[in-house]
Amino acid sequence: MQEHPTTSWQAMQEGSVFYRRQQLYTLNGKLPDFDHYLVAGCRSGGPIALTRDRTKLVSLDSRLPRSTKTQIQIYSPAGDGLLLFTWDLGNIIRFGWTSDERLIILDDEGIYRVYDLQGDYQQFSLGNEAGETGIIDARIYGEGFVALTGTFALLEVKGWEGARPLTLASMGIQEPPTAWSVIPPDVNVSRHVEVLVSVDTTILSVDNLEVIDQRISRGPFTHASPSPNGKSLALLTATGLLWVVSTDFQRSMAEFDTTTESQEAVKQVEWCGNDAIVVTWNSLALLVGPFGDTLRFHYQGTPVAVTEPDGARIMARDACDLVQKVPSATLSVFRPGSTSPSAILYDAWENFAHRSPKADESIRSIRPELAAAVDECIEAAGQEWEPHWQRRLLNAAKYGRGFLDMYNATDFLNMGRALKVLNAIRHHEIAIPMTHSQYMHGSPAQLTARLTCRNLHLLALRISSYLSLKPDAVLKHWASAKIAKSRPSATGSGKDVELSGDDEVCKLIVAKFKELGGYDVSYADIAKRAWEVGRPGLATKLLDHEPRASDQVPLLLTMNEDKLALLKAVDSGDTDMVYHVLLHLHKRLPLGSFFRLIEDGGAQLSLASKLLQVYAREQNKDMLRDFYYSDDRRVESAVLCLEEASRMNDQAAKIASVKAAQKFLSEDKDRAFEAKMMDESARLHAFQQQLEKEMNEKITFFGQSVNGTIKTCLLNGLLKKADKIKSDFKVPDKRFWYLKLHAYVSMKDFEGLEGFAKSKRSPIGYEPFVRYLLEKGHPKEASSFVERCDASKRVDLYVECGDWRLAGQECKTRGDKAKLEELKRKSPNTIISRELEQISLR
Amino acid sequence: MSDPLASDAPSTLDVSILKDIAVKSLVDSLNSVNGAKTLVLDNSLSGPLGLITEVSLLKHHGVDKMFWLESGPLTASTTNVVYLCRPQIKYMKIIASHIKRHAQDKQKHVYHLILVPRESTLAKQILEEEGVLGDITISSYNLQFIPLAEDVISLENEKAFKELWVDGDETVIYESSQALLTMQKLFGRFPRIVGKGDYAGRLSHLLEQSRSTDDPAADTLVSAAGRIDCLIVLDRKVDMITPLLTQLTYEGLIDELVGIKNSHVDLPKSLVTPAAPSSSPQTSTGPSAATPPAHALREEAKKKYLLSAASDPLFSELRDLNFSSVGKKLSSVAHRLDEDYKARNKAKTVAQLRDFVGKLSGLQTEHQALRLHTGLSEMLVRLTRTAQFNKSLEIQQNLLATYDVPGQITAIEELIAQGADKQLVIRLLCLACLTGGGIKPKVLESIKREILQAYGYDLLSLLLSLESAPLSILHAAVSGTTGPQKYPYPTVQKSLRLLIDDDPDALEEIENDISFVYSGYAPISIRLVQCIAQKGGVLSNPAMDKDKSTSNAPQKSTLGKVQAHPIVGWKGFEDVIASIPGCTVDANLAGATAAGIPSLSLSAQSREHASTTVVFFLGGCTYTEIAALRWVGRQNIGRNFLIATTGIISGGGLVDSIAGGERDVAKPLVI
Repeated sequence: MQEHPTTSWQAMQEGSVFYRRQQLYTLNGKLPDFDHYLVAGCRSGGPIALTRDRTKLVSLDSRLPRSTKTQIQIYSPAGDGLLLFTWDLGNIIRFGWTSDERLIILDDEGIYRVYDLQGDYQQFSLGNEAGETGIIDARIYGEGFVALTGTFALLEVKGWEGARPLTLASMGIQEPPTAWSVIPPDVNVSRHVEVLVSVDTTILSVDNLEVIDQRISRGPFTHASPSPNGKSLALLTATGLLWVVSTDFQRSMAEFDTTTESQEAVKQVEWCGNDAIVVTWNSLALLVGPFGDTLRFHYQGTPVAVTEPDGARIMARDACDLVQKVPSATLSVFRPGSTSPSAILYDAWENFAHRSPKADESIRSIRPELAAAVDECIEAAGQEWEPHWQRRLLNAAKYGRGFLDMYNATDFLNMGRALKVLNAIRHHEIAIPMTHSQYMHGSPAQLTARLTCRNLHLLALRISSYLSLKPDAVLKHWASAKIAKSRPSATGSGKDVELSGDDEVCKLIVAKFKELGGYDVSYADIAKRAWEVGRPGLATKLLDHEPRASDQVPLLLTMNEDKLALLKAVDSGDTDMVYHVLLHLHKRLPLGSFFRLIEDGGAQLSLASKLLQVYAREQNKDMLRDFYYSDDRRVESAVLCLEEASRMNDQAAKIASVKAAQKFLSEDKDRAFEAKMMDESARLHAFQQQLEKEMNEKITFFGQSVNGTIKTCLLNGLLKKADKIKSDFKVPDKRFWYLKLHAYVSMKDFEGLEGFAKSKRSPIGYEPFVRYLLEKGHPKEASSFVERCDASKRVDLYVECGDWRLAGQECKTRGDKAKLEELKRKSPNTIISRELEQISLR
Repeated sequence: MSDPLASDAPSTLDVSILKDIAVKSLVDSLNSVNGAKTLVLDNSLSGPLGLITEVSLLKHHGVDKMFWLESGPLTASTTNVVYLCRPQIKYMKIIASHIKRHAQDKQKHVYHLILVPRESTLAKQILEEEGVLGDITISSYNLQFIPLAEDVISLENEKAFKELWVDGDETVIYESSQALLTMQKLFGRFPRIVGKGDYAGRLSHLLEQSRSTDDPAADTLVSAAGRIDCLIVLDRKVDMITPLLTQLTYEGLIDELVGIKNSHVDLPKSLVTPAAPSSSPQTSTGPSAATPPAHALREEAKKKYLLSAASDPLFSELRDLNFSSVGKKLSSVAHRLDEDYKARNKAKTVAQLRDFVGKLSGLQTEHQALRLHTGLSEMLVRLTRTAQFNKSLEIQQNLLATYDVPGQITAIEELIAQGADKQLVIRLLCLACLTGGGIKPKVLESIKREILQAYGYDLLSLLLSLESAPLSILHAAVSGTTGPQKYPYPTVQKSLRLLIDDDPDALEEIENDISFVYSGYAPISIRLVQCIAQKGGVLSNPAMDKDKSTSNAPQKSTLGKVQAHPIVGWKGFEDVIASIPGCTVDANLAGATAAGIPSLSLSAQSREHASTTVVFFLGGCTYTEIAALRWVGRQNIGRNFLIATTGIISGGGLVDSIAGGERDVAKPLVI
């Protein structure tokens, strides 16, 4: 018979609230005494990391590693060593865990490393400035950390990808704070990180914009710890008073004098869920409830408390415990004397199991609340640690379900599945003591990732398939690990062994993926791994299996497979990727071979070539010029010259550019016409320069088109010059006449226009004269040209000029009676119609 | 046009969700920067952003002041400076210069760069070369399709055409594929991609590729909601003729003559602001208000007006009409409105009066809309009366009919002599070249010479761009196989029945073919869509003789509408499609098992549920094409069209963009 769940319960507040202390693992002294160590525990049932506290003297004990080097030890909650490694950088300032179970270690020079549980790490730096001033402290949370520099500036780093540190608002303090803590952005109202710093008697709230003095006089504080939901803050004053306050300092929640428990200095102030606080001393952990009630837990040696969102894990030399408030569902079922429906349901099931008729009676009594009771039993099952009680509670739920007509069994099934997984990972060999709510808070994928990090691939794979997750992530990790392990031995007999080894490993991996249906596995990542461990052959082979061209590119670049990388980038259609490769190659290769690479690619690489031109046109004209030159692209070279010419202000330079363009074009025999045009253009420019000189620079000609030049000449009365341009540039008569017409009208020189019109027979006829004058608002002058137009159009043109009388007369002279009638009908007013009447009568 | 059939069309995909997504991610991007910030905006983004958000929203999320991203010093009063721009090299240089100047002046700022639509290696490289990469935090704002109307979504990339066919920069294709993938995530997979054109092939390849690397598990999730039956991709090169023509629908003509930018049109202030003191709810304060005070000055007497069916119901009735019938429509609306106003006199009892007063504000809004559109049409009428406009229409019609081509070229020469707008001349010249299969080398040379002399020799690069591959829409007639592939206009014209000899009077009464949009010419692009989605419509006018068109679609007798036939690719038109240059796409993505079946199951199911066909124009489409496609959509039941495009284009805008200049918003009001 298993112990009843209530045996681990302890009452608080006169029996209204229960807390339970559940022993997860017995450790039996597998761990050293934490008193000599700095300890950081990972949330959600993660491991703990230890390093010796250098400020404390240690007896030279034979059991301890006799090394003066700094070592980091990582233990699972069951006390098994997971990893041991040596730290070879500066003094460790702080270490802590990310939300995905990686260890962050920060040293006093601002260098930090992110370790996974295999001991592989990535190294980043907080920058030169931080390195010079030094780092004196830091606070690490799941998605980033805040470091305190020697000059008391706060640097925030978001994420673990080596993001640039962001300087928070300056606090203007002169000495290090007595205590400080960070409220992570995901639980803060502003969604930005907030730092609470205890300075003198008060507390400063700092974010990236401002520093707010909270004006508190109870300090200084020695401990400051925000609750997991970021709403409350636990503070410990120098006099040993524990004070709980909301993080906006508007509401004081509880006060408790710790000196009543122990006179020693407090080691830790940590939260247990969001409503109680664990205070630790040597061999004692004290749980302080919301109303100052306490529960005492004794341990061998110094305990270490790790805050969990729904409780606290307390580890000591002898045991690893979970302390939490008894969840409401469990309380409702098991509380002595409980008469809640779920308790009655559980009771009914027990009676049923004992074949007692009372079962039916009980069920009847809770009929209306049965569905809720079933749900509560399922929930309570999730909160139990022992499979025995989980099974019983689920059985009770199943029994109750039988009495319901409609019941959605999804919750029941999900809970069964979740518990099966949880029980598997809570086993002491795996030792991930997650609670159900922690499991629900994260995702199953996160869990399998944690397992693969411990090299527990088989379990991860089984869990994946049990929960119908995609096995890809697990497989990928497995393959990487496989490659790292199957390093070809140095004793192999030369090349052949290695080659067959490559083939074998590649085949093995591909076969495994096919078998297990890993569709989305990125071979590129695995290939990268192979490259990193020095197996380029294997890397190439694996890369061939990568379906996404864009993923192959970065590795190909590092492998110096330039052409292949460029081809794959072009194939991916992602222009940014192509730029990435181009810029990379441009930096690395000599210009000549860079160009050759692109030119030799022909049509396949035309996109790369085009993009290079787009880039160079904006950023690097010289390179573009070289590129065109090396490829004998005369037309493009010429266009480039023209483009430059259009941007130049200096006349001489402009002409030179145009001439250069002309030269390029003349070298291409298919471009004779264009060359000729450029020649004309240069001539025009020269002519314009001369004109300007003759005009003493008073009139601007330079840069105008042929038409423009002619017009400017006409407007300034330089008729001779206009004629010269006409003959020099073979301007057709028609166009010349239009230009003159426009010029005269715009000068309102109607006499000149008349003279010009009479100078010879117009090649464009006279209708354009009428039309243009009308358009410019000179109907009177327009009408004088109508008589020179085609006879058939005259009537309408007169009408358009508003000269109805002449229109009427025109009709009359041509004897067009019908038209005249039409005019009469259309006439705008009586005067005109009368006039028309007279004409028709005449 | 206002036939009741339009209203009973089954609900289409709700594209407004795209707007919600765009707004949400913009807000998220802004909120990621804590506190008050100075927003520096790329000019080309203000238009698209104006379609999804308002200044007040930005202010609400901490934007203190806004500036255009342009060279010159930047004075920011806040610590945070947020740049929002496309990853163009020139912008990066300006940003770098700002940062350097601030450093010189010892101004402390925190810089954030939000790149649209994604982060770019190139941008980083430039910032690194300028030595400021370390001072700036880069993130991205993925702005994709923006709904312009209930059935039109656009990437609002004005330069797409130029980038693709002049620069050869395929970024647009990649961005389109990303945007289409987002669509797939929202509305379900495209079971089939049918398309035409080399770049269309490229796009379809990208979509297929991303599909093959996608996880198959996601399929099951969306297939139930899969209401899209096909994605039709047409790249602009397939039909270069249509955008070169002058658009003749109401909205199209406004774009041609006044210019529409991001659905906004600049109108004289007197037209937009209501005569009555009541404030009109339709006047948009979007982009115009986004203009910082320093630049507000140039907006003298013009005001931006949002042309949108949602805010202006009258516009939705007018936009797709051939301009010749707009006047009639307006007068009928005026009559109706008059009647409604007269209802006041009939109101005898207090209750009736209250009823009338209740309707009054609606009437006033409508009245204001009517006033605006009447004014606008008057403006257009004036512009369409010019000799040049009519001459150019005449040339276009003759060229389409390949009637007296040399005569038309002489006419174009005449236009040059008269000093006509260079866009117009070049449009006509390219049109002559495309329809006639090239222009005689001697003639072409002399006309090019005329152009260079009249408009300046720097137009040579424009001419070279038009001539060179892959654009080559201006070339000499060459015999033999050398040179660029000719556009087989005569074949296409015959087999796709592009020209309809309609009695112009009858046109107003009965719209019996999509050719109403160009007064007798059916746009090739839309004919191609019909080849896929309404095969009957290509062969004969469905509204006139239905017998022929019902070969594979059962007839719904009462409404005169036919049930849409399932998508079977280019079937029936393979020959003519093959004759058009560019690769032909027909990819079935529904999976091997369902390959044969969907045609059956789809047709059965589509009787109840209308399916949506997405038509994507790679390189942009015109308002006229949208109008024509809407018309096609109205002829069938069981199929809706969703028009997706990289941007709205017009012939003038195209020529301008190829010439390298920005499309001028305030185009001169003369042709």
